[in-house]
Amino acid sequence: MKQLLLEVLGWLGYLERPSVVLQLILVAAFMLGTRVALRRRLLPRLPATGYPPIGLGLLALCGGLLAFLRQPYGLLLLLGTLWLGWYGLRLLHRLLLLWLPEQATHQLESRLLRPAYLLIAAMALVSEVDSLADLAVAPLGALFGTEISAGKLFQAVLVIYVVLVGCGPPAAGLAWLLQRAVGMSEGSRKAMELMLRYAVVGLGLVVVAVHLGLNTTALIAVAGGLSVGLGFGIKEVFSNFVSGLWLLFEGSVRPGEVLMLDGDPCEVRKLGLRATLLWRDRDNAELLIPNQTFFTEAATTYTATDRMRRSQVSVGAAYHHDPAEVIALLEATARQVARVLPTPAPKALLLSYGDFAINYALRFWIAHPMDNAGICSEVNQAIWHAFKAQNIEIPFPQQVEYSMVWPPEQHKPNSEHH
Amino acid sequence: MMGALSTVMAQPEGSRARPDRRRGLLLSLCCALGLTGCAGGIELPNVLYLAISADSNQTIDSELVEDINTRLKLLETGFRRIYPSTRFQFAAYTETGLQTAMARRNRAGLGPDLLLINGDVAKRLVDDGLVAPFPLTPSLANLFNPGDLNRLRLPNGELAGLPMLIHSQVACYNRKRLPEPPSTLQELLSASAKGHNVGLSVELSSLFWTAGSVGATEAWSRVVERKPLSRDDLNSIEAWTAWLQNASDQQRITFYANQASALAEFSAGRLDWISCSSNNLPRLRKKLGASLGVTSLPSGPGGTATPINRLRVLALGRNSSRLGRERAIAFSRFSVNPLVQRSLTIGSQILLPANRFVKVPVQSSLTLKAMSDSQEASQRTAALVNLLHADDPRLERAQTLITALVFGEINPKGAADELIELMETKP
Repeated sequence: MKQLLLEVLGWLGYLERPSVVLQLILVAAFMLGTRVALRRRLLPRLPATGYPPIGLGLLALCGGLLAFLRQPYGLLLLLGTLWLGWYGLRLLHRLLLLWLPEQATHQLESRLLRPAYLLIAAMALVSEVDSLADLAVAPLGALFGTEISAGKLFQAVLVIYVVLVGCGPPAAGLAWLLQRAVGMSEGSRKAMELMLRYAVVGLGLVVVAVHLGLNTTALIAVAGGLSVGLGFGIKEVFSNFVSGLWLLFEGSVRPGEVLMLDGDPCEVRKLGLRATLLWRDRDNAELLIPNQTFFTEAATTYTATDRMRRSQVSVGAAYHHDPAEVIALLEATARQVARVLPTPAPKALLLSYGDFAINYALRFWIAHPMDNAGICSEVNQAIWHAFKAQNIEIPFPQQVEYSMVWPPEQHKPNSEHH
Repeated sequence: MMGALSTVMAQPEGSRARPDRRRGLLLSLCCALGLTGCAGGIELPNVLYLAISADSNQTIDSELVEDINTRLKLLETGFRRIYPSTRFQFAAYTETGLQTAMARRNRAGLGPDLLLINGDVAKRLVDDGLVAPFPLTPSLANLFNPGDLNRLRLPNGELAGLPMLIHSQVACYNRKRLPEPPSTLQELLSASAKGHNVGLSVELSSLFWTAGSVGATEAWSRVVERKPLSRDDLNSIEAWTAWLQNASDQQRITFYANQASALAEFSAGRLDWISCSSNNLPRLRKKLGASLGVTSLPSGPGGTATPINRLRVLALGRNSSRLGRERAIAFSRFSVNPLVQRSLTIGSQILLPANRFVKVPVQSSLTLKAMSDSQEASQRTAALVNLLHADDPRLERAQTLITALVFGEINPKGAADELIELMETKP
């Protein structure tokens, strides 16, 4: 490690060369100049994306001049090319937005395109001052008795990063194929996709360990020590991870499932390593619930065996209406609501005799549990219209106000005042 | 009143953004000043940038880098006694990738101050404008064999690089499995017949020593120089190709596609005898320890073997600053100092000194004796080496022909004719 650091510090010695300093100053000046010009809008008619090409063009002119004067210009050219590439990435962003949703574009850029570009840029710069081949074999130290070189570590980190970031699409593709072949449900497909990702990441880590030549005995010893650490230090994290895996295999909490949380139906959006992301329709909130919660506490789901939900609305009708007529009307009304399933058929029940009304319940089935609130509203509206059409009264408690006179002996009924 | 208050309240946000911009500009200015070294108090490291080319039979791996580091450390320690603040930074390149890398680095002004490369490569790099001629003083020139210097002379009389050391081609054998190494080609064939495994490479530079033992070296020199060939020349070249095919017919003699493969097999203990370069010795010593034996290449009816030795030179980069160039020249002079050359030779036992006044202690070391003998014998191939560069495209074609020969695809006469025709053409 020390050797590598000394190597990097040693590159500062190139600043002793006037030609190198000149190129760096030119690049810095044009980059800063372009930035200042852009901020102050020195060319008001020019759009913001028009400034970098001007800076790049002027830089290229300087490069041409240096080449004409037989002075070194390669560093200026390289830095200019890197600047051009960075500018190209910004243009690519707009193009990507035409094809991909904003979130996917952002993820693609921040996780793949920009890191890859920065990596290539760093390697191009290093190869200007040193040999990548011998830097790659620079020793960094020993890990479990295995010598780790800069190249090996770089490759390991790169493989892990690529596996973590890049295993999503292939895993999704394979899960989709399996879904087609076996006929899995959508939830199972998502679970399968996640499990495939974990498997690929796990396999990637093993491959990296083998590539590094790590001693397996030492790894096992470390795993033993780590398990004690897990027991005390990061118990919760590990517990959540294992819970997440278990839930995936069990299939009770999968992306797309609907769970009741504090009385609200919530849809599972993502089963993460530590927590599950739920979406609550009521207020469009996204809730991060630790996986352990579903593992240890009871949860109500509407999607374990099927996605249907039996819903219910309550209504009161006046005592003078025939309950049989009311029940028939309620059932007929529910059947007319579009999103109420015809089978199982809606069912109305006389629940109880209340203080001022007979209480009825109308039970019906809906296809998607997340639509419950909306469908209940539609059914309630339909009942109001149906009752009005059939002159069925929905009674409500009424209060009669009496004005009292003090002392009570002097009180007379209201009618007497008028 | 409220409006005024809100204006006052809003002000800090705007003013916070402005100092940020100013801070950015100030930082950039400081960076620029720092880059120019005008910041005062910033002292740039005194670094001598060195580029080293590995031989074609070497791969750049941790062992090679460690080996270079160790040898460089010896020189660095001595040099820092005179120039205490100087640090060394080296970059290793393969022989094939060196030219491209140097062209790229030179174009950026980031080329090395000094290059440790083969003599023929140095001449080519000077031709390409990637290396500056070495300023040779009469006292410095006096240290080297005129022949060596002549080989490094450019058409205008300037020197492509300063000779520093010589890597010799020798024979490596496993003492435990082959107690008596063969001293002639006949003994080599006999050893293989007795069950000893012999490894040869189809690369011309690794195999050409056999031409000397068979007696075809001078004929090959005439071929490359495009001089008329006598019947004897043709016969000797055909005898050489015949010997190669005969050797390949032996059950225990294996021809490898390259020298690196033969070295790997020898290191693994699966071969008892190979030809090798002295720069492979540190790695072989590490693997085989005391079992490694080093001796001269076998002679034959045509005389001694004609090894292809590599003269390594120090060539000056073109991008150095004034101080950098001074450091590079000072280090070059230091490296060819008799005392340094002697300690390098004895300390490493893998190279010979370029300084002619340094006597190699051949009595005390069999390895140094083998290398010294090799160097003496290599004088026969000096002219040829001068005409055939390591990256000459004819060598690759020749390798294909030799491969066809050892696999019996073409007969010795056909191979000889095709090789002559190939070598007579201009690259």
